[in-house]
Amino acid sequence: MFHFSVVTNWIDEFLRAYLPDVWVLLIEYVLIGAVILGVYAVLALVLIYLERKICAFFQCRLGPTRVGPWGLLQSVADMVKILLKELIKINRVDPLLFRLAAFLVIIASICTFGALPFDEGLLVVDFNIGVFYLLAVSSLGVVGILMAGWASNNKYTMIGAMRSGAQLISYELSCGLAMMTIVMLSGSLQLSEIVSQQSETWNIWRGGIPACIAFVIYLIAGHAETNRGPFDLPEAESELTAGYHTEYSGIQFGFFYLAEYLNMFIIAAIATTLFLGGWQPLHISGWDAFNTTMDFIPPVLWFFAKAFACVLLSLWVRWTMPRLRIDQLLKLEWQILMPLALIDILLMALWVIYF
Amino acid sequence: MQVINDLLAQLPFATIEQHDKEYTVTVTKEKLRETATLLYSNPHLSFDYLTDIVGMDYGEELGVIYFLSPSRYPSYGLVLKTSTADREKPEIDSIFDLWCAAALYEREVYDFFGIVFTGNPDMRRLFLRQDWNGYPLRKDYDANPALNPVPTSNEALADMENLPTTSIDINGERLKEHTKLFETEDYVVNFGPQHPATHGVLHLRVSLDGETIKKVDPNFGYIHRGIEKMSEAYTYPQILHLTDRLDYLSGTINRHATCLCVEKGLELEVPERAHYIRTIIDELTRIASHLLGWGCMAMDMGSITAFVYGMRDREKIMDIFEETCGGRLMANYSVIGGVMQDIHPNFQKRVKDFIPYMRKMLKEYHLLFTGNPIARGRMDGIGYLSKEHAISLGATGPTGRASGWSNDVRKIEPYAAYRHADFKEMLRTDGLTFDRYIIRLDEVEESLKILEQLIDNIPGGAYAAKTKAIIKLPEGEFRQRVEAARGEFDVYISSRGDKYPYRVKFRSPCMTLVNTLAHIAPGTKVADLIMLGGSLDYVVPCIDR
Amino acid sequence: MSYIKSIIVGIWRLMQGMYITMLNFIRPKVTECYPENRGKTEPLGAMRGELVMFHNENNQHQCTACGICQMNCPNGTIQIITKMVPTGEEGKEKKALDKYMYDLGSCAFCSICTISCPQGAIEWSKNFEHATFTSPKLVNQLNRAGSTLMEKEK
Repeated sequence: MFHFSVVTNWIDEFLRAYLPDVWVLLIEYVLIGAVILGVYAVLALVLIYLERKICAFFQCRLGPTRVGPWGLLQSVADMVKILLKELIKINRVDPLLFRLAAFLVIIASICTFGALPFDEGLLVVDFNIGVFYLLAVSSLGVVGILMAGWASNNKYTMIGAMRSGAQLISYELSCGLAMMTIVMLSGSLQLSEIVSQQSETWNIWRGGIPACIAFVIYLIAGHAETNRGPFDLPEAESELTAGYHTEYSGIQFGFFYLAEYLNMFIIAAIATTLFLGGWQPLHISGWDAFNTTMDFIPPVLWFFAKAFACVLLSLWVRWTMPRLRIDQLLKLEWQILMPLALIDILLMALWVIYF
Repeated sequence: MQVINDLLAQLPFATIEQHDKEYTVTVTKEKLRETATLLYSNPHLSFDYLTDIVGMDYGEELGVIYFLSPSRYPSYGLVLKTSTADREKPEIDSIFDLWCAAALYEREVYDFFGIVFTGNPDMRRLFLRQDWNGYPLRKDYDANPALNPVPTSNEALADMENLPTTSIDINGERLKEHTKLFETEDYVVNFGPQHPATHGVLHLRVSLDGETIKKVDPNFGYIHRGIEKMSEAYTYPQILHLTDRLDYLSGTINRHATCLCVEKGLELEVPERAHYIRTIIDELTRIASHLLGWGCMAMDMGSITAFVYGMRDREKIMDIFEETCGGRLMANYSVIGGVMQDIHPNFQKRVKDFIPYMRKMLKEYHLLFTGNPIARGRMDGIGYLSKEHAISLGATGPTGRASGWSNDVRKIEPYAAYRHADFKEMLRTDGLTFDRYIIRLDEVEESLKILEQLIDNIPGGAYAAKTKAIIKLPEGEFRQRVEAARGEFDVYISSRGDKYPYRVKFRSPCMTLVNTLAHIAPGTKVADLIMLGGSLDYVVPCIDR
Repeated sequence: MSYIKSIIVGIWRLMQGMYITMLNFIRPKVTECYPENRGKTEPLGAMRGELVMFHNENNQHQCTACGICQMNCPNGTIQIITKMVPTGEEGKEKKALDKYMYDLGSCAFCSICTISCPQGAIEWSKNFEHATFTSPKLVNQLNRAGSTLMEKEK
């Protein structure tokens, strides 16, 4: 099995052979930063294209067809357009908060993205409290959204931000509880440890029914955290025109846009890591030939394939269902998902003890 | 009818004429309120449905015409007329407290004729700017552009200020202090005029308490084109092309109504073939309109996919129109005496292909959206409109029928080929958002049945009757009611024997629907306001005219 | 129990909705790829693209410049400019069409002109690609240069 650790180790050794340690560290930091930003941007473009194409297909349309073959370069063109656009100066906004908000949202998203384990050796920092870190950083984004809504001096954005605050803080709970279920199963908060435990059977099988319930809860709550699909109340284009980012233009709007799409991927990637075995290939005990064939597929591909499968599911739901109302949204969380997640933790404890 | 005769016997001061099922009652303006109260509050037969209020400039006098109808015997009508000789400060008693619909209608008459309705607490102009000079539908209106230059500043909104009011206290004294629509500490949000969910340039001023709606104040006039004023300068065939542009989603039905009204005046015999073709086109329009209404409502609730499906299937009808009528949205098909050209050879085949296709798609719609628990959770229990309220508001069409008010003009006064078709009037009793939603899909089903019955039986013969080159309507007043996709659409033409009409009035079914929204939205959430707007399915150019 | 049942029914209904969207995912798409399908699909039947004047192979039209269409047009779209041409007889002149100006920009496609024309001289073409860069280009002369009135068949 080819792991990316081979490549990263080789780069490390190569640099250390010629340079002092401080320089090696510096160069590696810069390299990692550049790679993360690059992958972040490229992934966002791919996701935007995918979303537009898939949504069009669900709606019996063709989607983008003009730029490049099958419209492949559409999102590149969009990006160029967004970069060239004027940043409109809006009267009576709070200038500091207004600009800071867009950065905060995208920084929170990049920080989470950086901690994802793509492959063995292809993760930036292997925290021993990785799950905790993901939870902590991903919820920073809501501060940016609240700031954007408040600083814009607009009633729509204000309502959008308030909705978003209520929604994200609520769904954070069941999201975290669902993740804790897996932590109980693995006995570790370290992402690489969680993934390597799943080399034979993925957590979703290993954890039995409690893990399956946790997976569903995580998908719903995670979907809600990305402000998409039936849970897009903070944006709710038919009610609040564009919600908290109504007043943003140009690349500031682009930041919100990128962060939204990347959050979708991040939620899918976390689901992959925790429930679907991360970069581990699909193994079925007893089928040795099948298992070795699966091993030939590079782990990075496995990771992205699983993550994109989750993204596809999220798109499918998004383009099928109507939007919830704010009271229904909170009812779903506090009356259904959270109690269920709590019971599920109990079930998982029993599962861990008895199986 | 005996009850009506008994009732009218209580009005010794009024002049009463009877013409078939329509009674015309003329009273002086002092007796108007007394007459109206009597007509409204009669326990045996209450004229509880105020169809429309038409302002008139008779030359010497300014008049107001009230079209009333009892909801229990919808085929009977009563025309209540009054007038005032004072052109400087015309005042007529308001009836806004009897019929909920009257408040907006009176504002419209005030806007165009300057007649002040004493007692109406809100006497702002309805369509024009508050600082407009003159009353445009008066015959002595000065259209000099210097009087009303193109404004370069925003219009100051009057609702935060003191409203121009005409409230009276119990002793009949005009009150000095003014009412306010919103308090200064209210959180007032503008929905529109440029907003994705107002279905056009409608402006709703909404005061919120958190997410809950406290009050809704609709503002119109952003797409006011003065069609009624324009019509007074057009010959009858020329008016027709404006009617398509009222409610553009049921354009052919509006045009049909205007043709029927002129034909009624001319006493023109329209060939049966034309009747059949017009009816089929009307029903196709109704299906197209309901599909769009369904899709827009789904989109207002966040399900964009449903909207695209609705538009996709509506496209089939647009293709039929393109082939036979020549236009897609503005079909421009009916003319006085028949239809513009004969149907295309493919027409029948296309319609017959469309019927089973649409049935199949309706099933998909139900699976996709009707059954969806999120959609049901949104719609159930929201936006209750009682039958009495619906009648009082004049909320006709699917909205009224969802509340259990039987008001289908196709059944009350069958026109064109509807008397040859066997169809049910869809009625539901609950009056909730879900009823207004589902009744549209049910009506599509019924329309398909009508199409099925008529499409194979189009009689031969001429498609249009011969008319004179210059059409002059005899002196008199003519009125035609039809069932447009959103409710009752009336055309009222007052003629002085000229080739131009003296006064044309179109009853907009959508204006009452927006009024309904303002009545049922308070207490619901912001998201519900948008959804209710979708469920009432109004079209703004129809309101503004 | 009914609570659990309602949840299961709800999930089943959601799945039905997702089945419908997936069904449409694999169905043939309805998008019209407009500039590519030029020439492949035509506007249908009686479609009103723009007003044209019928000319026969001898560059003759049927317009007698009577002005009925101009009078009937609600928007002042049509302007007929006439000239006097000598008839066969000595010293006599007859009114004939010089220019038939049609302003597409103000046309409402109401078709009153075509149905009121006693000669049937004007008709609708299916050309729908009207975009120009300046509005004066929308004003077209419908009669061709040098065209004359068609001789009536005796």
